[in-house]
Formats: sequence, C-alpha cells, structure tokens
Amino acid sequence: MTGRELSLAVIAGLIALFALPLVIENDYVMALGISFAAMSVLAGGLNLIYGYTGLLSFAQVGFFGIGGYTATLLVVDRGWSLWAGVAVGGVLCIAVALLIGYSSLRLSRHAFAIVSLSFALLCAIVARDWPELTRGSMGIPGLPTPVMDLPGGLRWRIVDPSDFYYLLMGFAVIAHGAIYLVVTSRLGRAMRAIKLNEPLAQSQGVNPLSYRLLALSLSALLAGIVGGLFVFYLTIIDPSIFDFYYTETMLISVVIGGPGSFWGVLASSAVLAVLPDMLRFTTDLRMVLYGVALIVAMLIFPGGVGGWLYRRQVARWRRPKPKAPAP
Amino acid sequence: VDWSFFAQLLLNGLVMGVIYALVAMGLSLIFGVLEIVNFAHGEFYMLASMLAYFLTAQWGFDYWATILVVTVVGVAVGYVLFEGLLLALRGETFERSILLTMGLSMVLQNGAVFLFTTNPHLLESKLSYQNILVGDFRMPVARLYALGLGFAAFAVLYLILHRTRIGKAMRGVAQNRAAADMVGIDARAVSRLAVAIGIGLTGLAGAALAPVYAVHPLMGFNFVFKAFAIIIIGGLGNISGAAIAAVMLGVIESLAGGLLPLALTDAVAFLSMIAVLLLRPQGLFGRGVRV
Repeated sequence: MTGRELSLAVIAGLIALFALPLVIENDYVMALGISFAAMSVLAGGLNLIYGYTGLLSFAQVGFFGIGGYTATLLVVDRGWSLWAGVAVGGVLCIAVALLIGYSSLRLSRHAFAIVSLSFALLCAIVARDWPELTRGSMGIPGLPTPVMDLPGGLRWRIVDPSDFYYLLMGFAVIAHGAIYLVVTSRLGRAMRAIKLNEPLAQSQGVNPLSYRLLALSLSALLAGIVGGLFVFYLTIIDPSIFDFYYTETMLISVVIGGPGSFWGVLASSAVLAVLPDMLRFTTDLRMVLYGVALIVAMLIFPGGVGGWLYRRQVARWRRPKPKAPAP
Repeated sequence: VDWSFFAQLLLNGLVMGVIYALVAMGLSLIFGVLEIVNFAHGEFYMLASMLAYFLTAQWGFDYWATILVVTVVGVAVGYVLFEGLLLALRGETFERSILLTMGLSMVLQNGAVFLFTTNPHLLESKLSYQNILVGDFRMPVARLYALGLGFAAFAVLYLILHRTRIGKAMRGVAQNRAAADMVGIDARAVSRLAVAIGIGLTGLAGAALAPVYAVHPLMGFNFVFKAFAIIIIGGLGNISGAAIAAVMLGVIESLAGGLLPLALTDAVAFLSMIAVLLLRPQGLFGRGVRV
C-alpha cells in the first residue's frame, strides 16, 4: 500500500468508527467497541515494548490497574476531577515503570521479564490485602459520572455507553497515533535495531537502556490513562482489574498480530475483542484455546500474521525481475 | 515474647522455605541448563498436588507410595515436556520459551479449573492430625516429613550434580554452553535430564505439601511467582543460591506473617527481589553477571 492509500484508508476507518454510534444505537455494540479501544491501547503499548525493543513485559496490566486505582481514589476520596486524577495516574505509572525498568535492566532483559511479572502479581496482592487504601477485595463501587467542560461553556456528561465509546475511542486514536509516530520515526528504527542486534546497535552509539526506558514509559503512561478512563465506564474498581486474564489477552493480540507490526497488532486486537465474545465461549474454555493458540504460534510461526506478511513481502522483493522479452 | 509462637512460625517458615526451594531449584536448573524460563512450573506443582490428592483420597495409596508415584510421574512428564515442546525451541529462545510455557500454563490451569472447578480439596489422612509434642510445642508430622523429604532431595541433587558424570556435564552446560559442546557433551541428553529432574522436584514438592495445605487448580500460580523472585534473589541459574534464598524467604515470610500486616507479608518476596537487583544485580550468591 502506498502512503496515499494508507492515509485514505485510515481516514475512512476513523470516520466509520466515529459514525458507528450514530448508525447503530446498540449498547452491546458500544460495549464491544469500548473493550476494543481499551484492549488495543494495552496491546499497542505491549507491542511497543516487546515488538520493537524486544523486552517481554508483563507489567502492562499493573499500569492499567494503578491508573484505575489512582484516578478512582483521587476522584472519590479527594474530590478531584477525573481528568486530573487520570493525569496523576499516568505520571505515577511512568515513575513506577522507570523504577522497575532501571532496576532490572541493569542485569538483563531476562530479569526484566521476571520482575515485570512479579510486579503485576504484587499489584493484585496489594489491591486485595491493603484494605485501608484500596477497600480490599470488595472494591470501590459506584464511581461518579465524569463531566468534561468543553469550550464555549458546554458540559459533556459522560453517562451513556455511546459517550464512553467516544471518550475511549478518542483516546485510543490519540494513543495509537503517538505509538505510530514513535515507531515510524528515528526512535522506532533505533528500537528495532536494539531488538535485532543489541551489541551492534550499541556499537553504533545507540544506548539500549534509554530507548527501552522510553518505550516502557510511553506504554505505561498510555496503559495508566486507559485504566483510569475504563474504570469509570465500569463504575467499579476491584482487584480483578489486575487479573492475569488481561495480560494473556494482550500477549495473544501481540503474538498473533505479529510483534513489531503496528497494523497487525491493531487488527488482531479488533478480532480478539469481537470474535470470542460473539462466539459465547466460557472464560475457562476461551483461555484454554488462547493457550493452545500461543503454543502453536510459538512452535510454528513466532512472527505472527504481521511477520508472515512481512516475510512474503521480502520474498517478493527478492524475486528476480522477469526478463524483458527477447527482441 | 511468646517463644512457642515464635518457634512455630520458624518451623512453618522452614517447611515452606524447603518447599519453595524444591520448586525454585527445579526452575533454576532448567534455566541454567536450557536458558528457558518455565512459566508452567507452578502448574506442574498444582497437578502434582492434585494427583497426590486423588491417589490418597480416592485410591487409598499411603503417604510414601503417593510421594514415590508422584515424583516418578513428574520425572516422566519432564521427559515428555522436553521432547514434545522444549526441544522445538532452538537458538534465541528466552522470550519464546516464556510465551510457549505460558500457553502451556494457561491450558493446564484453565483445563484443571474446567475439570475440577476451583473448589479447594483438603487431603485428610492419618498424618493430618498427628503431632509430636516437645514441651508445649506441637510439631505436625506432615510438616516434619515435608521438611525431611526436602533435605533428602537437596542431598540427592547435590550428589548428582557434583559426583556423577552426567551431573558434572549438566553444570558444564550451565556454565558455558559452547565449551561444553566442544568437549563433546551431548547437550540434548543433558537438557532432557535437567527438565526431568526439575519437574520431578516440583512433583515431590507438590506431593509433600498436599497434606499440609488445601489443593486447588489456582494454587500453582502464586507459587511460581515466588519461585521467580527466589531465583532472582539467589542469582539466575545458581542452584544452591536458589535453595538458600528459598529457605530464607520462607522463614522471613512466616515471621512477617506473624508480626506484620498481611499486605507486607506477600510483598516481602517482591521487595527483597527489587532490593537485590538494585544492590547486587548478580544475585546474593551469583558469581558475576551472566549474559
């Protein structure tokens, strides 16, 4: 696809997404759209870390929940506005991401994977066992309706599923835009270089630690913000926000879509947001199938769909040009 | 200070630490030899406990027969796991191995939930209510057996690694894969044995702890997370480091559980891991940073 076709396709897709609530007034469709918006931002962030810089991170769900809890507590206990709460949540996530990333990447990316995993599990435990802060496993129900002051003195009360659809889809577009800008810029090329060959990238003057911390911070910020917005759609937050289920779904999106493939991961998050729900699988069965998909993907095509398409493209470039017909 | 309370905490911590050590040593052995992080390790621990429950409660096996059968099954599962799945991972494997074993863990865990529901089962046997009294201090026999089995397994593993030919080969591969290849060590045989021993140790841990705590399909998950923290604290791929760190963690957790708020107890493993990474990244007992 050329750049012009791509931008036309993107604009058409955006118009379709934003016209959807006007065409179909259906809460179920809105719910699917909202879950796609939220999960695709989480998966996109994970793709930035794992697909581009080569760090396997389990911490995304931790940032998602920290963002949710921070926003909730600031709004409910301190009476802040949602937007301030979400912003503080996002900044807090960056701070935590830097702490985890800096301490473990000093050792190796192996240590990072393990530390990020323990961090995510620790979040769930703290949310459950520290009732003075988080109200424990009962969670915090009845989150208030967010209100946004629009220019011109208008107030947007975000109540209906279609309001939340616009809010989360709007943020998802910004988030994916930011990720796209990073991965198509010099930063993205440096990140790919680090993933492909770390010593070689280092010898060219690229410091892997700072690029990895940058990718980690950006994805933590996006996950934290999306967590803060998403819990106000649910109107409740409890420790299940840290459920490992989210991590598994994100990883499946990235692995099937193709690590390091922006469009591949976006497409696979859309499919995974819609398909399992419409097929009405029970959660146990769904996770068993995801597990099988993960095993098969790792054994047979670790590059995912995106990687497979890329290999085909490369093969086409390498194919010798047909000779000009003999005169 | 109530000394018998303190001694009780110490004993519980020691038992827990030894069980952590069995699981973590298996994980560390597999990582050291194959550079594979076995995410499904906790599920094998869970399956071992479930198997022990069914053997004892349904088919009337006695304690020692259960331990033996579960451990042997664990070793066999390790062989199958290596030949069936892990062998297919070659080259740059770390992330792929995590994702592969995570898929396996999802299948095993959710499959177990699907078949057995999440209800906890308590394995009741003659052992459950036996105590040895020392003064006014009660020592449950099931815990003492678990402790004894753990130490016996340490001794056997130590002897295998340091006194047998294949054990030395295993350490050789763990220290320097390329050099081990050059002197003609069969990496495949060594790796296969490492996985078999690793899963066998986990099986032993699951069977030994089944009479002490309730058995349910989600038990493996929290356990493996502690085991990961332990192998970082002890030094990645350092087996005796993992064992020492595990016993320390078990004791510290138990004491913290008796004396500190609940949230801090579970955070102990994570906070010690972060502290170790910041202060001594090669692990408490590491010989230097391995790449």
